[in-house]
Parts: sequence; structure tokens; C-alpha cells
Amino acid sequence: MRIARFVARRLLQLVPVLLGVIVATFVLVRVLPGDPIRTILGPNATEVEAAAARARYGLDQPLWKQFLDYLGGLVTGDFGTSIQSGNAVASELSLRVGPTLQLVVLAVTVAVLIAVVLGIWSARHADRVGDHGIRVLALIGNSVPEFWLGLVLILVGYSVLGWFPAPSGRVDPDTNLTPITGAELIDAALTLNGPAFTSALGHLALPVATLAIVVVAPLLRSVRASALEVLHSEAYTAAAAHGLRDRLLRRGYLIRATLVRLPSLAALVFGTAIGSTVLIEYVYSWQGFGQWALRGLLYRDFPVVQASVLLIAVCYVLVFLIADVVHAILDPRVKI
Amino acid sequence: MLQFGGIGALLFATGACASGSRTEGSDDASPGTGTDTLRIAVSSYLSSWDQDFVGFDPVALMLYKNIFPYMIDYGVTEADGSRILDTENVVATFAESFEPNADQTVWTLKLRQGLTFASGNEMTAADVKWSKDRAFAAQANVAGIYRTIGLTEPDQVTVVDDYTVQFTQAFPSALTRQIQAISLYVFDSEEAKKHATDADPWATEWFANNAPTGGYFNVERAVQGQEIVLTANEGYPGPDPAQAKTIRISVVPAAANQRLQLQAGDIDVALGISQRDIADLKSADGIKVISAASNEQVAIQMSVTTAPFNNVDVRKALAHAVPYEQIINNVYGGDARPTSSLVPLDMPGYDERGYPYGYDPDAARTALAAAGSAQITSELVYATDNDTQQQIAVLIQSEARKVGIELELTPLDPATLAERRQQKNIPLQITSGQLWVNDVEYMLATSFVEGANLNYSNYVNPELEEIYERSHTIVDAGERNDLWLRVQEILAADVPWVILCQPNFNLPVRESVAGWVQPMDGLARLRYLSASA
Repeated sequence: MRIARFVARRLLQLVPVLLGVIVATFVLVRVLPGDPIRTILGPNATEVEAAAARARYGLDQPLWKQFLDYLGGLVTGDFGTSIQSGNAVASELSLRVGPTLQLVVLAVTVAVLIAVVLGIWSARHADRVGDHGIRVLALIGNSVPEFWLGLVLILVGYSVLGWFPAPSGRVDPDTNLTPITGAELIDAALTLNGPAFTSALGHLALPVATLAIVVVAPLLRSVRASALEVLHSEAYTAAAAHGLRDRLLRRGYLIRATLVRLPSLAALVFGTAIGSTVLIEYVYSWQGFGQWALRGLLYRDFPVVQASVLLIAVCYVLVFLIADVVHAILDPRVKI
Repeated sequence: MLQFGGIGALLFATGACASGSRTEGSDDASPGTGTDTLRIAVSSYLSSWDQDFVGFDPVALMLYKNIFPYMIDYGVTEADGSRILDTENVVATFAESFEPNADQTVWTLKLRQGLTFASGNEMTAADVKWSKDRAFAAQANVAGIYRTIGLTEPDQVTVVDDYTVQFTQAFPSALTRQIQAISLYVFDSEEAKKHATDADPWATEWFANNAPTGGYFNVERAVQGQEIVLTANEGYPGPDPAQAKTIRISVVPAAANQRLQLQAGDIDVALGISQRDIADLKSADGIKVISAASNEQVAIQMSVTTAPFNNVDVRKALAHAVPYEQIINNVYGGDARPTSSLVPLDMPGYDERGYPYGYDPDAARTALAAAGSAQITSELVYATDNDTQQQIAVLIQSEARKVGIELELTPLDPATLAERRQQKNIPLQITSGQLWVNDVEYMLATSFVEGANLNYSNYVNPELEEIYERSHTIVDAGERNDLWLRVQEILAADVPWVILCQPNFNLPVRESVAGWVQPMDGLARLRYLSASA
């Protein structure tokens, strides 16, 4: 009940935060140099044609009127019309978000699992060869550009070994998957489409690996540092001195205490991962949210930029909310 | 939304053609797989299915050529063993004929009978009329380009009978066939009317999301962002029907991935591959690189109204400071042609006296001195996502510095570049592209007369304006060529552009692919392609 009240309070706090994001994005995207209408018209269009196009997208209205129209649209779930494609932003967004969230959630989950297992193992074997090896690998993973890493994995996994499908899309179109959420793995499970599920899994393997490798380092370092702190704590030393079994020591004293900091950091990493998808989606022909948002920004597609920034803000706030709740569950000292 | 005439006059993605073509590797492909399916990779998914409202989107425009019924199109000819689109020979395709009256002001279009859209509706004159009315109402692509041939009102397009339409132009024009080859696509008006509303009388919302039908191919399936499957329209009774039964077009943005998939045999044609990858693929097993000379031009446009380039001697200095040969060798690996005119090499009327400048630092210093300045500075603008332009800019910066021209390199993103181009406030910018209509009158209309939207140089010459006006009503080829010679003399003296080179067109394909026809407008006609020889 206490947690429910906390969640409700935090959700209410979302309103002013998101309002700030909406205002800031609306203003900033218009302050940037660049004319979205000219990018769709081509240079040979006359001023009359440009004016007609501006009127079509409501850009001939005063700024306050555009803002009020935008706000009014948001209330009814209307994010406007993409200037580049002429399609409703809401429908484009719904097609793009699922695939990217699927990629990010899976990659961060994999990264967290790897970080927890290797981080604790590394701490328990601190300053030995294995520990040094893991730390060096994490450092390398953190240092390589995701674009380059993606290309290398494709070269090895697809081109040389032939273990993975061609990096052109998210699922084999011949599996005739019916889109529901846009996340192919979930859609395949919901429609009981086995071939599509296998195909989606195959297409996910390399991008998830790329993203997980890119984001695992900070998580691993944090888990290792926390685990070392616990291992050197008086409580743990006392418990060990009492001759508790190794398994009990690990589960009862080490892991739970080690993971206290992890939710906040994972939330931060989640944000980093969303940013990293821009390049990863490009390399793997993913056609997801990241590429869509980037293109919107490059071409000053105002409604697309506004919708994508708003969505990222909502994701951030929700992920940190979840992190706070998990933190409270893991650490009884935290009052929410 | 006037793409066709502007940069629309210029094409960037899949390249080009002209005479002087050649083919590397053999067009007599090795025994193929016997499959009827051709797999093609493109760099992006199309932004809309509605040709009247699409932005400049090379993938979309290429697809339209294959799925919209175009009444007329370029014929095919041979040049140095390669088949190319013949820009001087426009032929009827979905139409039966397209012919003028004696004074070439009234053009009569006769449709083939028995053509149908995928809906089952017959294609008639009413569909052509509705499509043209829609185009004029849109004030977009076609309405803009029709102005160049004296078509400005819907009333100038009239239905004579079920299969005959007449276009009454305000004046005769030598460009009519070529302009109509771009513009005469037809919508299924019966189907469209079912989806029209009071608020949307031209069914723009429906067309944006639903593929057109009735062309050489129908769209069997379109998976947003990933794949489009085309199937041959077997009801087409005219010349050059589709050879491949099925074409699968997959979206692969990264050029490196297109290369890997081509090598692995997962695709047959790579339509978005980089220069560097193409060079490597020339020696790869199972792959041939179709190569041909192209009319794509790479140039630096100098603003003749902005100091210091408002001084013709400064413009001449830069023209002498540019390392033309170095650009061809280092940036294009020798796979480009030097040019001697602002008129493209393979355009009718080209004369090599049109650009009397070459790399000569001493001449550049002399010209700069004549301008009364030993040292000038300027920004040099190029597209931020264009690696080739960046390499060119770096080379030019290095050489220009040696003669006293200090260039600050300014990469601009698409929106900023479009805005600054519209404002015509860029002193120096690298441009690349190809005219859609292979004709000097069209080139003048888009690039060299007052108010022309590709005239980033802000260049105006009274004599050239007068020549352009006269050219509208001259249809004799000899008389026109005389005009074009004078045009090139004027441009040589005024030098509003530094013309860098004409890169060749290259297309890597699997050896089993046959039938490629070089498109002069860069829009591949997929109907000629087959998956196996």
C-alpha cells in the first residue's frame, strides 16, 4: 500500500516534468536553424508552393496557436502529422517503439545478468588473473564504438560463420508475422508463430549482443565494487567467522547487499542504451525508434522530434520510478 | 513539393547514364539459379506511396517508375555494348501513342485498351484527367514542372473519348515529351473516389499509405521499414513487360552490409553501396560491377552576388586553384571524367570550349592579383552526411590555401542546408546531381536563369536570359544547338561554377543478374531485370 501511494505520488510529479519537456522541446526545435518545409519541397518549389505546404502542416499559424494545437492534440493522443512522410506521428511511433524497446530491454537485461554474475565472481576472486581478465574485457567493451562493434559481429557472425541471419530487418517476412505490439518476439509468442519466434530471436542475437557489450562495463564495475565493499564489511566478516556455509553467505549476505545500488545504475544505463540504438539500428537495418527520431531531428520534422523527446522523457521517468521501487524492496533502510 | 524540376532535376542515389557506356564483367551472366525472384537492397524505405506529395526520396521515386502506370517513357538504345535509356527517344508504353498537332501545341494521348488496375477497374481517359486535376490541385510536383511547357490550368487537359486525352499547351516546347515522361503517371481514380472525403477530396491520406497499382509491377506485400515485394503485372499488353516474376526489395541502410549480403548471395543487386566497397567488389567472386559514364555533375557553385566571389577574377582564381585530376584520382579512384563545360558531357549541345580552366596555381595567383587581393577567405559548404563531398572539400581547401584562398569547411545537416540554399546565402558550396531532363533549356531553367531554384550562384546574365526566352518556342535541333554554343561561351566568361568532374555510374550485382538498362534519370526500370541469364 505504501508503495502504491509512492508510485501514485511519483506519477503525479510526472505532470510538471513532462510539461516542462513539452515546452522546452517545442521551443528548442524551432530555435534550431533549418526549414522542415524546404526539405520536403526540394529547391525548385516556389514560395506559393512552400506557403501551401506550411498551411498544410499548420506552420503558418502563430507560435502560440501551434503550441495550443499541439497540447490539445496530446490530450487526445494526437501527436500531429510527420512533415517528412505525411503520416500520423502516433501510428509511426507505435510501429517504431516496440522493436526498439524490445532491443533495449533485452540488452539491458542480459547486461545486468552478466554484470551480476561476473561482478560478484570477480570480487570474490579479486586481484587474481580471472578478475583482471574480466576487468580488462569490460574496459574494452566500454571503449569500442557500437557502430564498429556491430560491423565486426556481423562480419564474424553472419559473413564468416554464417550462424546468424542477414542484418536486414527484425524478422523473416516469409514467416507472415501479424504485428500486434511491434515487438516481433512478443508478437510471435502471442500469435503462436513458431517460425517467426525463431527468426526474431535469430535477428535479435547480434544487436542485443552489441548493445549488451556496450553497456555492461559500468554495471559490472559497480557490482564488483559493491561486492568488494560487502566482502570487507564487518557484518560479512562476522557471518563468515561464525562458520556459515558458503552458499548461505553468498545468498543471504553478499548478493542482496551487493545489488542495492544496481537499480539506479541500471536505470541510467537504460537511458544510455536508448541513445546507443541510433547507431545499432542503422548497422542492423532495424528501422526502429532511434533511427526515426534521428531522421526527424536532421530534417527538423517538428512533430516527430516533439513526440520522440516526450516519449524518451516518459521512459526515463518510469524507469527511474521502477528503480526506486526495486531499491526500496532490496534495501529495508530506504523509506518510500 | 517540386522535386522533378529542382534537385529533382538532380538525382543522387542510383545514378545515371549517357552515351559512352561500358560494362565491366560480362552481361552474359553465368548460368543462374533459374529462380524468378530478384532480390534488391535499397538504403531506405520509401516515405510515402503518393507521388503527388512525396518529398525528395530517390527510393520512392524509383519504385514509382515501376508500380505506377506511366503512359510514356524513354526508349532503350545501345552504347558501347551497354543498354541505356535513350533520352532523345520517348516512346509510348501504357499509352498507345502520344503525338502533337502541326504547331506542337496540342498533344494527343491515346491509351491502350484493356489495361486494368489491381482493383479490376479499367484504366481510361477519365483516370488520366483525374490524375492531372489532382496534380494541379496539389500545387506540387507535376504542377510545378508543367509550367516549363506551358501547362498551368486543369482546363488545358481535356477528355476526348474513353481512351483519348488532349493537352493544350500555351506554347510549343521541345521539352514536352521529356517533361511528360516524368509527369504522365496515372492513379486509379475509381478506387480513389471511394476513399475521398469532403475534407480530403483527393484521398491523400489513403494514397500515402496504399501502394498504387497498374504499373509494370504490383505491390504484393509491404512490411514497413523492411521489405517490399513486387509481382509482375501480367495484364500489361505493351512493350517491355516485366522479366522477373517477383522482386523482393529489402531495406539495408548500411552500405557495408549491402556489400556483405551481395557477397553472401543474399541479395542480387545493391542499390546503395559506397565507392570504396564498389572498388573492392570489382574483384569479388560471383559479382560483376555494371559501370557506365554518367551525366552526374560535381561542382562548386560560387555566389556571384557575395563578396569576394562577386568579382569574376576571384572566381577564375578558384577555378584555377582546384586540383581536378587529384579529385578524380583520389576521391573517385579514377572512376570519373574530367569535363570542359558546365553543360554535361553527354548532353546534346555540349561544347568543350565551355570551361577553359585547369589546375594552375600561378594563373590562380595572377587572377587573384587582378582582383586586387592577395588573400581571401570564405566558407565552403557541403552536406554533412556526404563523405565524398567532405573528401573533395579537404583537397580543395589544401590547394586553395597555396594560392591565398583560405576556406573554412562547413558541413551542414539537411534541414540547415535546405534553408540556407533557399535563402541563397552560401558563398561557396559543393553540389552534385544529375538533370532529369537531358537538355540545355531545362538546365538553364533550373540552374542559370534569374530565380531558378538551383541557381545558388544568384547568377544573372541578360543575354543568357534572352536566349532562354527564345529557346522556349524553338524546336529545331540545329537552331537550339547554336543557342547552346553561345550559352557555353557566356558561362565560360562568367564562370559561376567550378565544374569538378562527372563521376561514372557503378552498380554491383550478382553475376546471374541480366538485362540492366542504365537509367539516365537514376530511376532504375526494374522491368528489364531478370534473376538469371
